[in-house]
Amino acid sequence: MKKILLLFFLCPFVTVAQAQTGGRFTLKGVVTDTSGAALPEATVMLLLPKDSSLVNFGRTNKEGAFELKNLKRTQYIFKVSYVGFVPYQENVNPKDGDVTDLGRMKMKVLQKELYEVVIKTARAPLSIRGDTVEFDARAFKVPPGSTVEDLLRKLPGMQVDADGNIKAQGEEVKRVTVDGKRFFGDDPKMATKNLPAEAINKVQVFNGKTEQSKVTGVDDGKREKTVNLELKDSHKKGGFGKATAGVGTDKRLEGKVNYNRFDDKQQFAILGFGNNTNQSGIARNDYQDFKGSQSFNWGDDGDFGFNSGRYYGGDDITIQPSWNGGGSEGFTKNFAGGANYNYDNKKTKLSTSYFYNQTKAINDVQARTENFLTNDSYSSLDNSKSIGFTGNHRPSLRFEKNLDSLNTLVLISNSRINSGDEDYDSFQRSFLNEGVVTNQSTVDNKSEYNSFAMANLLLYRHKFKKKGRNFAASVAYNINNADEDKRLNSMNIFFQDSTRNSSINQLNQTESTRGNFKGSLSYIEPFAKKFTWETFFNYSMRKDKVDRDVFDVSGTEREVNQFLTRYYSNDFTYNRVGTSLRYSNKGFNFAAGLAGVQFELRGKFASDKNATNFTRVDKSYFTLVPNVSLNYDLKNNRYLYAEYGLNVREPSVTDLQPIVDNSNPLYITEGNPDLIPSSSHSVYAGYNMFNPASFTNLYIGLSYNYNVNQIVYNRTVNVENLITTTKPINITGGNSYGTYAGFGFPLKKTKATLNLNTNVNFDNNLTYINGVKNETNTDSYNFGTRLDLTPSDAFTFYGNANWGISESKYSINTNQNQKIFNATYGADVNAKGPKDIYFNARFNYRIYKNDQFGFDQKLPILNLSVYKIMLKSKKGEIRLTANDVFKRNQGITQNVNQNYYTERRVRTLSRYFMLSFTYNMRGVTASVRRNNNF
Amino acid sequence: MLLLFSLAAAAQKMEGEITYDRVFHWTRVYSRLSYMSQEEKDRLKLTWGNDDESKQEMTMIFNDKQSYYSYPKVDELSEGGYSWRKGEFKIYRDYENSKMTDIIEMLGKTYIVEDSIQAPNWKVMNKIKEVAGYMCMMAVTEDTIKNQKITAWFADNIPVSGGPQMYGGLPGMILELDVNDGDIVTTAKEVKLRPVTGEELALPKKLKGKKINAAKYVELTSNHIKDSIKAHRNPYYAIPY
Repeated sequence: MKKILLLFFLCPFVTVAQAQTGGRFTLKGVVTDTSGAALPEATVMLLLPKDSSLVNFGRTNKEGAFELKNLKRTQYIFKVSYVGFVPYQENVNPKDGDVTDLGRMKMKVLQKELYEVVIKTARAPLSIRGDTVEFDARAFKVPPGSTVEDLLRKLPGMQVDADGNIKAQGEEVKRVTVDGKRFFGDDPKMATKNLPAEAINKVQVFNGKTEQSKVTGVDDGKREKTVNLELKDSHKKGGFGKATAGVGTDKRLEGKVNYNRFDDKQQFAILGFGNNTNQSGIARNDYQDFKGSQSFNWGDDGDFGFNSGRYYGGDDITIQPSWNGGGSEGFTKNFAGGANYNYDNKKTKLSTSYFYNQTKAINDVQARTENFLTNDSYSSLDNSKSIGFTGNHRPSLRFEKNLDSLNTLVLISNSRINSGDEDYDSFQRSFLNEGVVTNQSTVDNKSEYNSFAMANLLLYRHKFKKKGRNFAASVAYNINNADEDKRLNSMNIFFQDSTRNSSINQLNQTESTRGNFKGSLSYIEPFAKKFTWETFFNYSMRKDKVDRDVFDVSGTEREVNQFLTRYYSNDFTYNRVGTSLRYSNKGFNFAAGLAGVQFELRGKFASDKNATNFTRVDKSYFTLVPNVSLNYDLKNNRYLYAEYGLNVREPSVTDLQPIVDNSNPLYITEGNPDLIPSSSHSVYAGYNMFNPASFTNLYIGLSYNYNVNQIVYNRTVNVENLITTTKPINITGGNSYGTYAGFGFPLKKTKATLNLNTNVNFDNNLTYINGVKNETNTDSYNFGTRLDLTPSDAFTFYGNANWGISESKYSINTNQNQKIFNATYGADVNAKGPKDIYFNARFNYRIYKNDQFGFDQKLPILNLSVYKIMLKSKKGEIRLTANDVFKRNQGITQNVNQNYYTERRVRTLSRYFMLSFTYNMRGVTASVRRNNNF
Repeated sequence: MLLLFSLAAAAQKMEGEITYDRVFHWTRVYSRLSYMSQEEKDRLKLTWGNDDESKQEMTMIFNDKQSYYSYPKVDELSEGGYSWRKGEFKIYRDYENSKMTDIIEMLGKTYIVEDSIQAPNWKVMNKIKEVAGYMCMMAVTEDTIKNQKITAWFADNIPVSGGPQMYGGLPGMILELDVNDGDIVTTAKEVKLRPVTGEELALPKKLKGKKINAAKYVELTSNHIKDSIKAHRNPYYAIPY
């Protein structure tokens, strides 16, 4: 007796969907192989013919029999699957009566060759539709440059002879089609010999109808072996570009062009721009489009280990995106352009780029400084104008090679070739009492400079077989050479003491070279599943050489100024060895470590390179630096973090030289050979929370810094003639506290969001003024709020308001204590009009108030623009912009320091109107919404 | 030979553990968000497209009546030795009683989705391939809420209607699940047949979280997707993709 084995699994979903009409029926049958042997446990499925939807399924019993009961009376596709056999398929039409018997169904063995080669070796899906066998071309690797013929040779069951004749499953292939169409005539070899293998996505082999039956529409029953080649989607390849040109009032011009081409392995980009509208930096989006996959490379830092006691050195010599997007102050004229090429095939990554930029800047500055002495105070006024030009060539190269799955090598070489000049004129006056000039100075300096900087890094990373065990080593060599000629002219008049009057006319030629060799090692060992132990070593050896020749010039005569002419060399060695242990479990990460840092400074200086009487400064210093950090990933999108560290920095060479520099007679600097490295303890902690359901977020944080042996500049001011002399010293005790908090929540979900934020900072700065210790305490309180209204796709409003009070108290001259009040109100309104016309207004209203100086400034800045999207596929945009409508932009900054307060105004680009046109190959996307920063 | 193998497999009691690799490409998920402009999508792809892959191991424990799918029991540290918190994600299926219990941390809360087992409307296609040594057939369906094309490869000789994430309902275990042609691909790398204890498949004794049914789950996620798209946020920070 047949025991019906049915693993009957009815999807409730599907059963409900089947409405009940007519009588139900039972489908039964027996599944066997071609010899008639039963196939037990075969999967039988019932599908709907219209879309292959699975309606029911079950399994055959030991005798290969199955029975599917209670089926709705309709047409089905009956399907059987059994490992090692070609899936069986049959259309089912229920017969009259309760039972429809399909009889014995014979399943064909799946060709072993197909199974082994396609499924096992190539791991490619095999598609079987009747006679058609489909191969996934990507799974069969052929060398680059191969033709389809080479690809076909790799496919199971296919043979290609020396003449290019193709056989599939032993039969001659009569036709080769491309995407179902004939490819240049009837010769099958046309396509296989000419098409590149890389262009093919799939290869289908089937028995096609003869050409004759296709033409006549009468199936003659004859079949020909046919190969169809399915081409790859070309979406991986592409190119796009964008160009903007604008012309404005007041001779304002701007232009920008960028173009990208890419495929799945390569990216090529060019970028160029020019303007006289203060846009000197590369906008973030342009930077990202230019650098592509090389925009952000983390882990390219060869200095391993935790933050405490880290060696600082080198500046960014590669191009950087300008994050804030704001224009520069003053008036600048800018040109820049370059090209970038990236190659990435996962194993090898190569990136090269070249970029040139130049800026001509005119800065007209009025600065007013209030200086506080023990009991007195004096003010100085400085009107200056500088015209500077600077140009940079920046070639860069990055090469990364994954030698195998465990070893990676990275080579980076970036250079910057810079040249420039500056012409600086200034008129400075100091007043001890209001309206009475104590001294004045007229300055006219000119300089020309060239510099070359290069940073080279070789990084090797090795992963061990044991997961998490890593070794890394790096070596770096950085060069920074500069050479400058400077002409200093100044007339200095002292109204109280005319004997000090001077006229300076000097030529200052400085050549400096710096070479820095660095090396780092790191070894990371995981243990006990939750611990990671890191040991690291950093080494740095820096050699500086400065050769400065100063001449006093009178007419055509030059005389060496022995006092200022100097040659010095300085070797700075840095060693850090450290270790740290981290515990990590379920989002909780706690690490503690300790490192020993050693500095060694060997300097020598004399008036000349060939001098015999070098003065030497030799210093060495050792300290232990701890580092503790916590990162805790809490439930429901909450995050807690904290870190404590100690940072140490060596004194600069110029600060260590016991030399008096009086090249500026009003401001004399003196070095101090007794300086020791400064260090600062820093602690910060924070908490973030985000509730994705309500779109609410909260963040709070605090920080504390305590300075030990901070290097500050002692100021001694001669109250008679107001000559300032500064000398660096070490001082301990300066500190700062800071806290911030923010809270954002929707007033109405997706339509209105309110953000509140506040920060409070207390700073304590120490310095000596005329031998008396002065403590400047600055307490600042800031509060801000932001309102985002996004009611529709046609209108948005982004408003913000910020208020700040900063109170400074001086221990030596309390009647100079002051309060600065700042407020900013901003609004950004966007509206969409009919016919793809958009409107944007940005208004910024700033208030500065300082009662001590009767300073009360209100600056309303309004920018307006209206633009229309045009052309086919919205590829064009025409825009009219009004910049600073009220003509009130004045570059004002205020700065409170140890014993002085400075207010600075720079004459800056103000009102202009501009008409610009943009053509974007991808179409201009206009939206009243702020963008997402991608 | 193949025949013998399959007979042997069928004779054995079908229970054990499957280890999956869940490979995720985040730029592909972003490039499907309707509020992103073509320019932003291109920029995203060019900047991060070559390096956006993240991999997470997942485990399935099953016998012929029940299955349990979640993160591996032992938390693996990241390559750099850090541990990131994985939200609660425990998928229990009781096939005998057609009962599902999903413990999912999403939208800032832990939810317990309890209902009868739901299965999508699968379409079984004419394609076969091998995954982790098992011959699999292809079935496709669509997630209309998340607008995803789902491709599943199921092994009909593991006769358990389970699969990765919340998918199942096919004549065999899903050994590979592909969401949107490669956005997230969950592939079995090892199928280990071993005796499974009832404890391994049992629900936690105490269920902490908000109990909802399947319809409520669909409502929560679809509302969140709608709101997030309107607010120009990626909804899949807070719900499983």
